[in-house]
Amino acid sequence: MKSLKFEYKLSLLYLLLGGLWIVFSDKVVNSISNDIDFLTEIQMYKGWFYVIVTTILFFLFTRNHLTKLRDTESELEHHKNHLEQMIHEKTIDLASKNEELFRKNEIINQKNSELQNTLIRLQDTQSHLLQSEKMASLGVLTAGVAHELNNPLNYIMGAYVGLHRHYEDKTFSEHDEQVGILIDALKVGVERSVSIVDGLNQFTRNSNSYNEDCKLHDIINNSINILQNQLSDNIIIDKQYADYDLIIKGNVGNLHQVFVNILNNSIQAISNSGTITIKTSPDDDHVCIEITDTGEGIEAENLAKVADPFFTTKEPGKGTGLGLAITYNIIKKHNGTLEFQSEYGKGTSTKITLPI
Amino acid sequence: MLNKKKILYIDDEKINVQLFQINFSRNFEVFIGCSGKDGLLLLDNNLDIEVVVSDMKMPEMNGLEFIELAKEKYPDKRYYMLTGFDITDEIQDALNNNLILKCLKKPFNLNEIEKILNE
Repeated sequence: MKSLKFEYKLSLLYLLLGGLWIVFSDKVVNSISNDIDFLTEIQMYKGWFYVIVTTILFFLFTRNHLTKLRDTESELEHHKNHLEQMIHEKTIDLASKNEELFRKNEIINQKNSELQNTLIRLQDTQSHLLQSEKMASLGVLTAGVAHELNNPLNYIMGAYVGLHRHYEDKTFSEHDEQVGILIDALKVGVERSVSIVDGLNQFTRNSNSYNEDCKLHDIINNSINILQNQLSDNIIIDKQYADYDLIIKGNVGNLHQVFVNILNNSIQAISNSGTITIKTSPDDDHVCIEITDTGEGIEAENLAKVADPFFTTKEPGKGTGLGLAITYNIIKKHNGTLEFQSEYGKGTSTKITLPI
Repeated sequence: MLNKKKILYIDDEKINVQLFQINFSRNFEVFIGCSGKDGLLLLDNNLDIEVVVSDMKMPEMNGLEFIELAKEKYPDKRYYMLTGFDITDEIQDALNNNLILKCLKKPFNLNEIEKILNE
């Protein structure tokens, strides 16, 4: 019965009560009297009685059922209201969270742009540092280069003195051979001066292009010229160059700095006498430059640190500790590699590869 | 002509020795060489050389090393340095020890040098 729905229950009860009433009431009435008139009258009362009882029962049942339904409905309404409230609250909550996120996003954006600015400033500083280091090493070198100029100036002065005398004495024609030598000296003097100044210019030029034609042999030779003054007479430079010009795309000034730095380290590593071997060799898609010296070498524990900024074992004033760090950066910008091998007491070998 | 003062000039750069010879031959008898070895040999063969002038930077034997060897053998000659570079500690020591009398500068001043050579 439990599983039966309300309308079936109600109808069945009605049917059962009606059936039982009809069957048993008639039997009872018939046992009391046989009078037709009385029976007819009683039939009417019986009908009224039945209708009243079933109406009451019907009312009670329906009310009970509807009350339950109404309760459920009001509960549902309540839940619905609660749910709406909850959704409203959650929506407000979400909105505020959203706003917070938005604000945080804004902060992140701001920080991002600050970082961007810092990065740009850092790059700017780095490029200044690069230039400063160049100038610092140039400072060390300038004295040498300036004096280096005195040699060709000596040619020019000597030639001037000789020619001036012949001019005053009007003896040009008597000393054909001498005049020829003097004029040649003048020419060589000027040419050497130009090449020294040119070398300095190449070293100091501050171009940002990495698409210049770099003739490696010229750059290495020029770097050696710049360092001429640091080179004692007891250091032999052994050039084992490839047979033909090695030309790569890069930055001429920065590559000068690379070779000046490495060669300068080699020169400073040789205390008395020694050899610096410079070997250049082309490969399929890159060139390899190996600079090997017979200097004092680098201690094993320092070898990994040589390219760290501000790492130096040199005396104060002899090195900034930035040379190889900057060298490393320049090589990296050329998409090349820089490797050091060294045996303490025997010498150091620096290997540079640069893509063609 | 025969009593010209004899001087020796040593420099590893050919143009420098040529110029020196051309410019100083008018008043001196100039002997030239391109290395310390040349210089020692010339001194041995020409004992009457009075003044020696040498470049500093030369391969194998630098100017001071040459002058030191020369002065050991010939202490009575006058020795000078002619260089384009600053006076280094090494040169200053040589000046202090009277190994050299003066350090002359390149580019050379003809009058100054002639005056010194004539002292």
